[in-house]
Amino acid sequence: MNWIQVLLISAVLALLVYLLRSRTNAKAKAWVKVGYLLFVITAVYAVLRPDDTTVVANWLGVDRGADLLTYALVIAFVFTTLSTYLRFKELELRYARLARAVALRNARTPEH
Amino acid sequence: MVRWSESPYTWPHWPAPSNRRGVVLWTSKQRTPPPGNARTADVWIIVPAFNEAQVINTVVRELRSTFPHVVCIDDGSGDGTADIALAAGAHVVTHPVNLGQGAAIQTGVEYARSRPGAGVFATFDADGQHRVSDVVAMIERLRGGDVDIVIGTRFAPSSAGRTPLLKRVILRAAAWLSPASRRLGLTDSHNGLRVFNRTVADNLTLTMSGMSHAGEFVALIDENGWRVTEQPVEIRYTDYSMSKGQPLLNGVNIVFDGFLRGRMRR
Repeated sequence: MNWIQVLLISAVLALLVYLLRSRTNAKAKAWVKVGYLLFVITAVYAVLRPDDTTVVANWLGVDRGADLLTYALVIAFVFTTLSTYLRFKELELRYARLARAVALRNARTPEH
Repeated sequence: MVRWSESPYTWPHWPAPSNRRGVVLWTSKQRTPPPGNARTADVWIIVPAFNEAQVINTVVRELRSTFPHVVCIDDGSGDGTADIALAAGAHVVTHPVNLGQGAAIQTGVEYARSRPGAGVFATFDADGQHRVSDVVAMIERLRGGDVDIVIGTRFAPSSAGRTPLLKRVILRAAAWLSPASRRLGLTDSHNGLRVFNRTVADNLTLTMSGMSHAGEFVALIDENGWRVTEQPVEIRYTDYSMSKGQPLLNGVNIVFDGFLRGRMRR
């Protein structure tokens, strides 16, 4: 086993442990965890048998497995960026409502 | 001239200044009766301000010479805008942090609509680019009763030509790019001067905190089916208001936010 394989697999497993330990009980979060588990299994397999990704890539009309991974990464990155953007907007809105409630409570009226 | 009794907006807590029965309206304790009369008593002017200490005094005093109720929303200014506005006779609501003009307008509307007797609401930029006489004319237009909201436009045939060319092109493009704006036939959706009634104020929920609220305002008009019209107004492009104005590049943000709007929970 190469050193890079050891590093990659331990990094992925460490992330898995971190994710499963974070305490959230929402249904949506559960699906995220299931998805993440699948991701980890795929990642470990791809690290151990890199040539198999090329086989999958060829099924899909892509030459190399590495290219396929790059495409997948780009899609995942765009998805993450957008969902983070929307999440930030939502937080911003809540934050604005909180600040507004404080502001309205401390309104000052003129004397004349 | 509509008399108090005929006014569609009644205000039980406020004595009608034009009184026909000779009742004493202002006691000696109230040394200076607020300006205005039955036609302005139910009007609230909403002035969002961020670091406008230089001009806010003049703007508020000018407004107060016609309208008794002015609320200035200090959007987390660090230059004492709030105190100056208060001294000039405005109600002051201070955001603890800077949130953006859209959030300030929403705060102002929420404050004004909670005041007893408020019936007509107007947004008015704090940098002195609007004329009070335009607001008066727009309120007259609203009181006609056939519209819910009147938006100022700087692109009417009578007022065109005074807007700098590049700004004119961008603003026209912004109005044209918005489907709601096109549908409603609006030419200047980013004009800061708007006059609206209780229906609009009660249902207004601006969620875009920054400068994208103008497009959102138009979208809300479209979604809620509020009856809208435009009225020609004049914008005073002073050096000050030009320096305070949003950079034209901000148009990119506005368009982008407009596209993403539907995807957010309110």
